[in-house]
Amino acid sequence: MNKSRLALLIAVTFVSSAVFADDISILKEELAQIRADYEDRIAQLEQRLSQAEKTVQTNSTVVTQINEQPNTVTKTASNNSFNPAISMVLNGQFSDYRRDADAYELNGFSLQGEGGLATEGFSLGESEITMSASIDQLLFGQSTIALHEHDGKTEIEIEEAFIETLGLNNGITIRAGRFFSPIGYLNEKHIHAWNFADAPLIYRGLFGNQLSTDGVKLSYLLPTDLFVELGGTVGNGDQHPGSGEHNGIGDWLMYARTGGDIGTNHSWQASASHWQASPEDRAYSGGHDHGGAGGDDPVLFNGDTDISNISLVYKWAPNGNFRQSNFTLLGEYFYLNEDGKLNNSAELASYDGKQYGGFIEGLYQFTPQWRTGVRYDWLGSKLRASDNELLDDADLDYSGFHPQRYSLMLEWLPSEFSRLRAQISHDKSSHDDDTQLFLQYTISIGAHGAHSF
Amino acid sequence: MKKFSCFLLLLIASSPAMAKFNVFACEPEWASLSQELGGDNVTVFSATTGLQDPHYIQARPSLIAKARKADLLVCTGAELEVGWLPLLQRKSGNAAIQTGAEGYFMATDYVALADIPISLDRSQGDVHAAGNPHIQTSPLKILQVAQALTQRLQQLDGANADFYQQRWQDFETRWQAAIEKWQQQAAPLKETKIVVQHDNWHYLSDWLGLNKIAVLEAKSGVPPTVKDLNNVLNKLKVTPARFVVHAAYQPSKATDWLTNKTAITKVTLPFTVGGNEQSTDLFSLFDDTIQRLLDANQ
Repeated sequence: MNKSRLALLIAVTFVSSAVFADDISILKEELAQIRADYEDRIAQLEQRLSQAEKTVQTNSTVVTQINEQPNTVTKTASNNSFNPAISMVLNGQFSDYRRDADAYELNGFSLQGEGGLATEGFSLGESEITMSASIDQLLFGQSTIALHEHDGKTEIEIEEAFIETLGLNNGITIRAGRFFSPIGYLNEKHIHAWNFADAPLIYRGLFGNQLSTDGVKLSYLLPTDLFVELGGTVGNGDQHPGSGEHNGIGDWLMYARTGGDIGTNHSWQASASHWQASPEDRAYSGGHDHGGAGGDDPVLFNGDTDISNISLVYKWAPNGNFRQSNFTLLGEYFYLNEDGKLNNSAELASYDGKQYGGFIEGLYQFTPQWRTGVRYDWLGSKLRASDNELLDDADLDYSGFHPQRYSLMLEWLPSEFSRLRAQISHDKSSHDDDTQLFLQYTISIGAHGAHSF
Repeated sequence: MKKFSCFLLLLIASSPAMAKFNVFACEPEWASLSQELGGDNVTVFSATTGLQDPHYIQARPSLIAKARKADLLVCTGAELEVGWLPLLQRKSGNAAIQTGAEGYFMATDYVALADIPISLDRSQGDVHAAGNPHIQTSPLKILQVAQALTQRLQQLDGANADFYQQRWQDFETRWQAAIEKWQQQAAPLKETKIVVQHDNWHYLSDWLGLNKIAVLEAKSGVPPTVKDLNNVLNKLKVTPARFVVHAAYQPSKATDWLTNKTAITKVTLPFTVGGNEQSTDLFSLFDDTIQRLLDANQ
């Protein structure tokens, strides 16, 4: 059975192979064709693959570097992560005067507060601690506390303590608290940021170095390409040359400021301001006296006081690289006008006083670490009272003498944070000339503060 | 009356053209990038020029006026502008650009920074606590910033989101191609020994594989003393370098001292857009930078 089947199968195969011999050869040819086709295609693919590999390689250098992640800060939020920016300014100086510092007078003006000369010999200047931080999404806060020594006692003074809005929009900013009044150019800067070791004479004579106020300030920045800022303050009017207790607004001020650039090398700012107060029982101390009232029976002023100021600053820095070298020219002029009554326990007189003056400073930083400057101060006064005896008692010189002063300084600035300064002044504040020498260091530690123009 | 209403209509019709998106860029490289990505939709102002040192800029009245009108601040961050930008923000009376607001964009927030100091002490010079901020010397970092900046523009100016997406894709393609080209051109520079005046070339040397063997400023931001320079000189006697790199915005006193003492070549690189005449935008900045390096390496 099996054998016969096998025989049949063989027979069929033979027959069929004979019949399809032609077809097989055709098939073989086709197969060869297909193989060649595929080999071609594979070669092509291989080529494309190797090309692709090459591009991937060049790209991967780019891609791998780009896939790196920014530093993920893994800070543990502890309570002190929210500490404010703290910085401290320390300074000390050596002062030498040809005349007696206690006999210093500024003719036509009454010296108040810090208005006198610095202690002769070695002295520690003001040490200031400034703290600032954003309070929340709306407010920024800053406070400067100054420590200084007077008559062997350490005095603490709150120079500034204010809150300020952070972007109310439309260019409006409101500040409240204690702050330096926006009168003039130097007044809003801390003394350590001034360009000379002592205050301009007009600042000394009118404000006892610097005018601050406890109150509110509003400023508005115009939406123009030219910088124009308008603003005003209202305050309690306690600070010299205001004084007394005011239930409402004791002083007010209005100011306008503008400025801009001329090319990349030049920039400027100009301002005008006007301040008014109605002092009550402002005491004339007649000389350098921290106590405020001088003697047992001081002369008092009651009336209206106003001060106007104009200031102009021009700065030149090649290519705008201020740190490399720069030249700054600064001038300010103040005019005080007051009208009222002078009295002490025995007498009363009507009084009309005008005190004015200004200064001009030229500063040249010729390398990043060296700076020199000259300053000229000039003052004048016109004081009229119905009874000159009271002016004498107040130690006010009404002769119309014009105090003047010439100062020259040289600074070495090892870094942004330190400064050594030498200054010599020829001071004609009164009829007796004086030559004054200052050697001073000022340093700042802690947070890197930003400096205004 | 008719004339007046015509005038009003004209005014209304013309106002959208004027109400462009205002970008305040602290440095020219970010101004250039903002222009690439924002096209005609943005008005870009650069607070500094290519020849200014961005560490030390005065908070000038002109800058305050510009900051007041800005919709977006594009700055480097990492404390580079710490001496002036906070004042501009505070004085601007502009909520849009306050720290943390959507209009406050710091480029260094989007890249990994190098040279993060282990200890912070000013006796070491002008140290940046957050790391080396001069990221614009590497096109790879710029690409990362560009991507983040595109997202920020889209977020702030949603109406034009598609437009910014297109600009980004276009920029990315051109930038990637340019990076490839620069890398090929700069291949011979690999492992070249260099000296730098100020340590602001970190990212460039990383990218091109340059080998920085000395810095003239021993303390960052402090002009080097003769002793510092002599130290570098001694180092160079042991391992000579091919050239000394100096940024166009810096005075070249220290570099010139070195070139006078040794036969080393000085290369002044633009550092940013506007650093020299050739560097008019980001592309030409790197074209020029690579060319100058290659010339010096001859």
